[in-house]
Order: sequence, then C-alpha cells, then structure tokens
Amino acid sequence: MSSVDMTTRAKWLNRLSFRNISAIYIFIAIFAIFSIVTPRTFLQQGVWRTLLDAQSITVIAAIAVMIPLVTGSFNLAIGAEIGFAGILVAVLQVKLGMPFMTAIPLTLLAGALIGLVSGLIITKGRIDSFIATLGLSSILLAGLAWMSSSKQIIGLQDGFRGIATGSFFGITVPTYVMVVVALIAWYVLERTSVGRRMYAAGYNPEGSRLAGVDVVRLKIGALVAGGFIAAVAGVLLTSRLNTGEPTVGPGLLLPALTAVFLGSTQFRGGRFNVWGTVLAVYVLATGIKGLQLIGSPPWISDLFNGVALLAAVGLSQWERVAGRASMIRRWLPRRRTSAPEKPEQSPVEERTPAH
Amino acid sequence: MQAAGIVKDFPGLRALDDVSLRVQGGEIVALVGHNGSGKSTLVKILAGVYTADQGSVEFDGVGDQAARLHIIHQDLGLVAELSTVENLGLGAVPGVHGFAPTRGRAERSHALSLIARFGEAFDIGIPVGRLAPAQRAIVAIARALDGWVHPRNVLILDEPSEALHASEVDVLFSAMRRVAADGAGVVFISHRLDEVLEIADRVVVLRDGRVVADVAGAGLDHDALVEFVTGASAEESVAPVRTLQRGEQMVDIRGLSGVGVRRIDIGIRAGEVVGVAGVLGSGRDILPSLVFGSLPSTAERFDIAGHEYSARSPGESVRRGLAFVPGDRVRFGGIRSMSARENITLPDLRAVTGPFGSIRVRAELRLSHDLLDRYDVRPARVEQAFAQFSGGNQQKIVFAKWLRNDPRVLILEEPTQGVDIGAKQAIYAEIDGAAQRGAAVLVCSSDAKELVRLCDRVIVMRDGVAVAELTGAQLTETDLVRHGYGLADSVSPSTNPRTARDGEHR
Repeated sequence: MSSVDMTTRAKWLNRLSFRNISAIYIFIAIFAIFSIVTPRTFLQQGVWRTLLDAQSITVIAAIAVMIPLVTGSFNLAIGAEIGFAGILVAVLQVKLGMPFMTAIPLTLLAGALIGLVSGLIITKGRIDSFIATLGLSSILLAGLAWMSSSKQIIGLQDGFRGIATGSFFGITVPTYVMVVVALIAWYVLERTSVGRRMYAAGYNPEGSRLAGVDVVRLKIGALVAGGFIAAVAGVLLTSRLNTGEPTVGPGLLLPALTAVFLGSTQFRGGRFNVWGTVLAVYVLATGIKGLQLIGSPPWISDLFNGVALLAAVGLSQWERVAGRASMIRRWLPRRRTSAPEKPEQSPVEERTPAH
Repeated sequence: MQAAGIVKDFPGLRALDDVSLRVQGGEIVALVGHNGSGKSTLVKILAGVYTADQGSVEFDGVGDQAARLHIIHQDLGLVAELSTVENLGLGAVPGVHGFAPTRGRAERSHALSLIARFGEAFDIGIPVGRLAPAQRAIVAIARALDGWVHPRNVLILDEPSEALHASEVDVLFSAMRRVAADGAGVVFISHRLDEVLEIADRVVVLRDGRVVADVAGAGLDHDALVEFVTGASAEESVAPVRTLQRGEQMVDIRGLSGVGVRRIDIGIRAGEVVGVAGVLGSGRDILPSLVFGSLPSTAERFDIAGHEYSARSPGESVRRGLAFVPGDRVRFGGIRSMSARENITLPDLRAVTGPFGSIRVRAELRLSHDLLDRYDVRPARVEQAFAQFSGGNQQKIVFAKWLRNDPRVLILEEPTQGVDIGAKQAIYAEIDGAAQRGAAVLVCSSDAKELVRLCDRVIVMRDGVAVAELTGAQLTETDLVRHGYGLADSVSPSTNPRTARDGEHR
C-alpha cells in the first residue's frame, strides 16, 4: 500500500515540479508582480478579455507552426502565409466582389495549397525546410504586395466583420475557433496513431521509414494542415481589423515560434505539444501586457519575445542534460543493489564496434 | 611505442584482456581480428579516446623528441571539396597567423614536396574528391607526416585499403613502406588477410579481446592466419538442433541488383535461416536494405509468400509481413527519444488503434509490458526512453517490436553488434524461435561464428556478387572466411588472390 502511495505521490510531485510546468509558476510570478505594481489597470476584467481575444490568433498561428515542426519541418513562412490569406480574403471580397461566404473557403483552400507546395518542395525537392520556407515566405510577401499594392484594403462586407467581433457568453468567436483548433490538434497528435507516427517521423525520419512509416506523406500532410490553419488565422485577423492589412501577418512568426519552443518545455518533457504552446502564448502575452501597462515603450514586446525564444530553446537544451543526469541518479542505487546478477549497462552502446 | 598489459572493461564485457602491442621504428605491424575482437577499442586507447583500466601506453623519447601517434581512419578525414594544398594546410595551427593572407606559392611548393616523397605526381590544385582513392590516401598520409619534427613516430592506418582495388593498393603500400623506411612505426589494420601477408613485418591477431598471435609476417601462410583469426575453438560453439519442417517457399528472388550488388538469387523457405557473409564492401551490408525495399533495386523475380512484390517500399514491406532489424541500431533501430512503449508499437499500430484513429492507451500499455517481460528487457520500464537502455536491451526492444506480430520474413543485419554475450544468446534464441514459428530468416553478419551458429545455409558475397553458397558440413567458420576473402579459389599461395578484384570499379 505504502509503495503505491509513494509512487502516486512521486508522480504528482513530478507533475507539479518546476521543470514540468515552469510556465505556470512564471505566470503566477508575473501575475503577482504586476498585481502589486499596477493593480488598478492590471486587474481589470476588460484587460483580460482583450488579452484572451487578441492572443487567440497568436495561438492559432503557433499551432500552425507546431504541427509541421512535430514532423521535423520548420515553417518560417507562417507569418507570410497568414498575411497572404488575410489579404486574399479581402481582395476576393472587395476587388472581385465575392460574397464572404465564398471568399473564406477559397482562402482556406489556398492556405492548404500553399502548405502542399511547401511540402512538395521540402520532401520531393529535397530542399531543407528552413531554406524552402524562407524562400516561400519571400515569394508570398511579393504576392501579397502585388495583390494589395501595399495598401490597406477597406470596404469589407458587414457580415465578414461580424465574424471576429461577434461573441457568445462574453467570449469572442476567435477564442472559440482557437479552442476547436487546439482540441483537434491535440487529439490527432497525442491520441491517434497518425500523431504517434508524426512524432516518430520528426525524431528519426530514416528509423521511422524503416519501421514502415510513410514519412514523406506525413510531412506533406502536416504542412498542408499548417497552411490551412494559418489561413484560418489570416481570415480572423482581417475580420478583426476590418481591413486587409498587408503588414500584420509577418509579425506573428516570432511570437508563434517562441511559444512553440517554450511550450515544448512544458508538460511533455521536451516534446512539442498543444497545451504547452497555448500556455506559453498567454504567459508571454501577460508579461508583455504588464510591461506595457507600467508604461514601457512599444518595442518591449519584440525584446520580450526575442529573449523568451532564446531562453526557451536554452532551457530545453539544459533540460536534455538535466534529464540525462537525473536518469543516472535514478540508476545508481538500483545498480548498486542489483549489480551482481545484471551487470550489463549502457556504455556498451557507445563502443563503436570494430570493422 | 609500447603498450603493455592493457585491460579495458565495459560493463558485462571485457573488451581487452592483457593486450600488449610493441611497435618499433621502421616496422610495419598488421593488426588483425574479427569484429568485436577489440581492435577499435585498442586503437581508441592508444589515441587517448578511452583510458585503459589497467596497463600503460608509452612512447619513446622525451620533450620534442617524443614519438607521436597519428591515426588515419578509413574515411581519411579529408575535406572532399578542398584541394590537396588546402587539405594539407588544415592541420596547421593558425594562431595569430590565421588572419594573415595565405601564402599560395609557398604552400603549393610545400605540398608538392610532401607528395613527391611518395613518388606520386598528381594535380594538387583540384578538389581531393576528384582524385583517385589511393591518391587521397597519400594526401592523408602526407598530412599526418607534415609537421613531424623527427621521423620516429607511429602512424596507424585503419583499413586504408578498403576502398581501393589492386593496382591502387600497391601505390598505398609503397607509400607505407616509404614512411616505415624513414624510421616511423606503422600499424596497419585490415580485413584483407592477403594484403596483410604481403606487407606486414609482423602480424598481431586479436580475438575476443586477447592477443592470440604475435608472429613475423614472413613464414606465415593463409591457413595459419585464418586459424588465428577464427580460433581453433570454433568447433565448440553449439549449433541448435533443428527439428522443424521446411515450409513453403517464402522468399523467391532472382537476379536482385542494386547499388553495390549484382544479380543475387535468394530463396528462403518458411522456417529456414539463410545467412549472408562477406567482407566490408562486398555488398553484404546492402543486401538486406534491397530486400526490405529501403534502397531501390531491380529484380527478375521478387516473390514473397508466392505473391509478386514489385513496388517495394518499407511501408509496403511491413504490410506484407517483412520485418527488418537494421545494423546501425543507434541511428535506425529505434526512435531514441521515444519510450520503449512507443517504439514497440510503431511498426504496427493497428492492434492498439480504436475508433477515430485513437490509440487505446491501456491496451498499448499491457502489450508493451508483456513484451518487455517476454523479451527480458531490463529495466522493464515501458516509459523509459529508448536511448536510455543499454545496447543489448535496445536490441531486445527492436526484436520485440518486429517479432510481436510473427513476421513472415525476418531480415536481420548484424543482429548482435555491440551486444554483450548474455544478450547475444537471448537474441540467438529469439531468432531460432522465430524460424521455429515459421518465419523465413535472412541474417547478414560480419561474424562468421554467428552465421555458423544460426544458419542452415550461407551465401558468401564478394565485390557485389555471390561467390559461394555453403551448407551442411561445408558451413564452417574457416570456409566462410576463406570464401569471403577470396582465398578459396586461389589454387596455390603464389598466385595473388587480389587479381580477382582487378578491373572492378567502385
């Protein structure tokens, strides 16, 4: 009995440890600090509602980056993809006179197509995902500038505007969209065999291929899904601003990437995961919000995101080393007691066999 | 140089047991032995990569006059895109001068003089990737020699002739003799026994971590050397008693060709274990990938269990009941950062997949617990990352993941590489068991003893083609090694067996 209690207790301690959910502790710290420093503005309900709504699009963008990243593809074109979709949905309405109910599906389809193209370039063209999506990003930005003539597109239909501003029970539509996207992504990645294969393909493409996993198809599929979700974010963004704004999309790349990497240090011990990503977006946003409320200049968000990205990646590297150390520590007492009957342990593997 | 009484233990495995090696100036010493005999470990200890548990390594001379050790690995360590001149310059310690402009002419003439010592003349301005393999080897040797303040050093060449064919080997050997003539000690590691006999002043044979022979090269013949390498105790390894009935023809392949392999026929019945032997570069290590479909290949006929299988890919192979345990476990055997559970279920997730593609967590846990128990994986922790298991236990997990669905065809590449003796026996038992349950097994191994122990029949490959097929009483370690090295068809020792390789292009 007592040993069972011990293991459940250890499990809970592990789950609540700083290593596992550091972002929640950081969130609590940020919350406490700003509640004391600037209680009047920081603790207003309106501030939190705006934050929830405003960051929902960042979360969607982050999930769009994360899905291909699970299969091992960087998508640096995410900002351009969002911007492109945002302009496309506006152009289709204003310049081609389409009803928004037609324009939106077409835009989402275009997003998926862009994902397909980047997937084909990366897998069939064998171009590194970093370079491929960087190139694609530049091409998309050119297309975006051409469609919009680098100007805001105004005069969108009223109904379209209603999408992002409408709300149920005091919570805006983009927040619901975010929850739905996150739930689906979570289910597929962590609860299905497709998701299992996606993680495997990302960790060790050749090893997975030899285990019968169709790595190429998974990579392309992940980029298509990412492109589709990016287009969703683009549509919501244009709807919220009520203009096709050519400059806002690209700015989402950095916060999205930061959140994905910071999120990977949460809950799943170094694995990219949806809830870690969602949490990371809001922790970062809360920090930035607090800093803005005490009167920091607008560039503080760039600074904050940049520092957080480096810290997140650094933390995950450190965690890898720490994980190894703790593994050894866990081993030592067991090995000492059981050494005589089972002497085989790991360094055998490091010995490269003779030819 | 002198290394005396070296002992190196890895947990569960004594890699080197009281090994001594003495190399004198002007001498060429050949170091010979099977995979896992301890050659690599010894070289790593000499180089200081590992520290010996017991024993010492000493070099002659003091201060500036102390002998130094240079190792040239099989891949030579050259940058293929850079020219000879640039490659030779890489070894120089830059210091402040690193930012000074390179002195083109001086470097060129320096390089020319270095190369000229070996009596070879080639364009030192073109990228080394475009040079002939033997010329590349000379560049590597020249670089090792560059900066020697005195010639009494030690040069270790790790299988330098592996990628060369006969005429080029002569070029390399004359370069080695040249280095030795200058007063350096040369240690030459090779699998090619005929070459060893040709060049070595002295031959040191390692087997199972011990020096079993340290004899003069002159007066040694092939047969004696083969016996030293394989060991007289070869006969005592226990072959399993096979009681099984041969089943239907599971694998029927005719004229299988791919990069490095030409026109191989393989037929395996259910319950049969067929081995593939051959030295490195013979195509032995490529064949399993061709059969499994992870490398492109062509074949006149390719039938699995009586059905034609033409569009080969790993995914399709898994669906058709083929299983492949790759040789490079660290890179391809499993997903290192995923848990044992996730690795075990990866090739076939259908058994644990419920509605809407969801994984039935409890069923998966039960399955992986059962398998870790059955295959005696220690520790039996399903959630431990694959990378954190020892080599032998990793291999057991790889076996568990493939054998859990009783594959029709089991393809194994170096199944016991880097695995200690206990796990080795367990893995042999699993292979026997799989055959007993009706799998057709293909084992590719560099370990002749292993093939004799496991197989009903062994195909011996050399230079990409099958040169012999041994069964029954013919299937002995000695014969495998002879055929693998191409010694069997040389009628008298005076004819050079290497001529068989002339005109081959790799």
